[in-house]
Amino acid sequence: MEEGKAYIESGILELYVLGELTTQEQREVEAMAAKYPEIKKEISAIELAMENYALENAITPSAELERIILEKITPKGKETPVAPTTALLASQQSGVLPIHQAGYESKIRTLKFALAACAALLLITGIALYSAHTELDTAKNQIIALNQDKQRFATTVNYLEGTNKELQTIADMPADPDWKIVRLAGTEMDPEAKMTVYWHTSGRHVMLDNTKMGLPKNDDAHQYQLWALVKGKPVDLGVFDVNADSSHILLKMKEIAGADAFAVTLEKRGGSAAPTMDQMIAKGGV
Amino acid sequence: MTTNNKISLTEEQLVLALKAQDTNAMKALYDMYSASLFGVISRIVVHTEVAEDILQETFLKIWNSAGTYDVSKGRLFTWMMNIARNLAIDKLRSKDFKNASKNQDIENNVDFVDAQKETTFNADVIGLKDMVTALKPEFTNVLDMVYFKGYTHVEAAEELDLPLGTVKTRIRMAIMELRKHFN
Repeated sequence: MEEGKAYIESGILELYVLGELTTQEQREVEAMAAKYPEIKKEISAIELAMENYALENAITPSAELERIILEKITPKGKETPVAPTTALLASQQSGVLPIHQAGYESKIRTLKFALAACAALLLITGIALYSAHTELDTAKNQIIALNQDKQRFATTVNYLEGTNKELQTIADMPADPDWKIVRLAGTEMDPEAKMTVYWHTSGRHVMLDNTKMGLPKNDDAHQYQLWALVKGKPVDLGVFDVNADSSHILLKMKEIAGADAFAVTLEKRGGSAAPTMDQMIAKGGV
Repeated sequence: MTTNNKISLTEEQLVLALKAQDTNAMKALYDMYSASLFGVISRIVVHTEVAEDILQETFLKIWNSAGTYDVSKGRLFTWMMNIARNLAIDKLRSKDFKNASKNQDIENNVDFVDAQKETTFNADVIGLKDMVTALKPEFTNVLDMVYFKGYTHVEAAEELDLPLGTVKTRIRMAIMELRKHFN
């Protein structure tokens, strides 16, 4: 009796009920309980207290849990569980059916739809992007082509404006008595040669008419040089080339205030200080 | 199935039916004890979904191990509660659960758990009911650490920096007080 009381007061029975003892210690308590009815009674009292304590602090689990658990229960040997679906296999191996299975499935289904929608959207976006890209390329090429056209037109317009101005100058010449039109004729060097020089006596302008140019084409090593004869002395009026693709009608030369005659010699490229007399190809008096 | 009617049986009837693998016994068992067991599990493992998984595991184990329950060794609830506590504590200490809980040490889990309660549950539901008792809180605290928070009494002694004997005494005092309270 004294042994039993001391045993009770040691606190081991509480630990027994709380599952805190080793298997060895549990057996010892169970042996003592079998031996001393007051120990057994004490254990029951502790158990009841703990049971009530748990009841007082109970929390009701979610309502669906009962159904899930009861569905999982099958009497041993009476029936074998139906073959589990693959999705449930892993959880059933550990003996637990995930409670939120249904929730996960619907979530997964939603996510699948979302994924499919995303993929479709991505595809559409890709196609739209590709198409936009192609169209952009076309547009770019068109812009480049239009720019080139525009530049060509601008060049043409510039050219036309320039030539128009020059033609206007020529057209105005007869009305201005100061403009002298000097026709140069070929010499012994080339009797066929001929050209026209416009000279404005008061404005001192000297211009050559490309359209009336009758000189043979010069090569790269040589250029024609225009001279003014002032009181018998040649004055350099600059060099010029004769070629087919000149964009100007009028060639502006150096200015001169007075001249008796004009002459052209073929000189080395860049011109000479004094005319090479045997290379004089054309001359004409004012 | 009469899901809306709570079944209540005496413990003897229940044990017999359970051992006979009567599914009605499980229904009764669930109706009578699920909330009590869930209260214990929920305070050890605070995540509701995990706690419900453990409750499910607990009932399956009760069902499958009914044959091993020995009436002479104690009350049915004590047996069931220890199954639930062991499963919950195993889960709490399992590697994946610790990782999920951001590697909280078991010692620190109490604070972590306490912090979690506020968000996971209504504080009125989760908080332990204040006992109408003359006992100082440090006595009930030791019991609550072991009963509701998954500590072993050895760990509780280490955590509180108390001799093992003192912890045992306090647990006994607290349970004595509970017995008075419920009588």
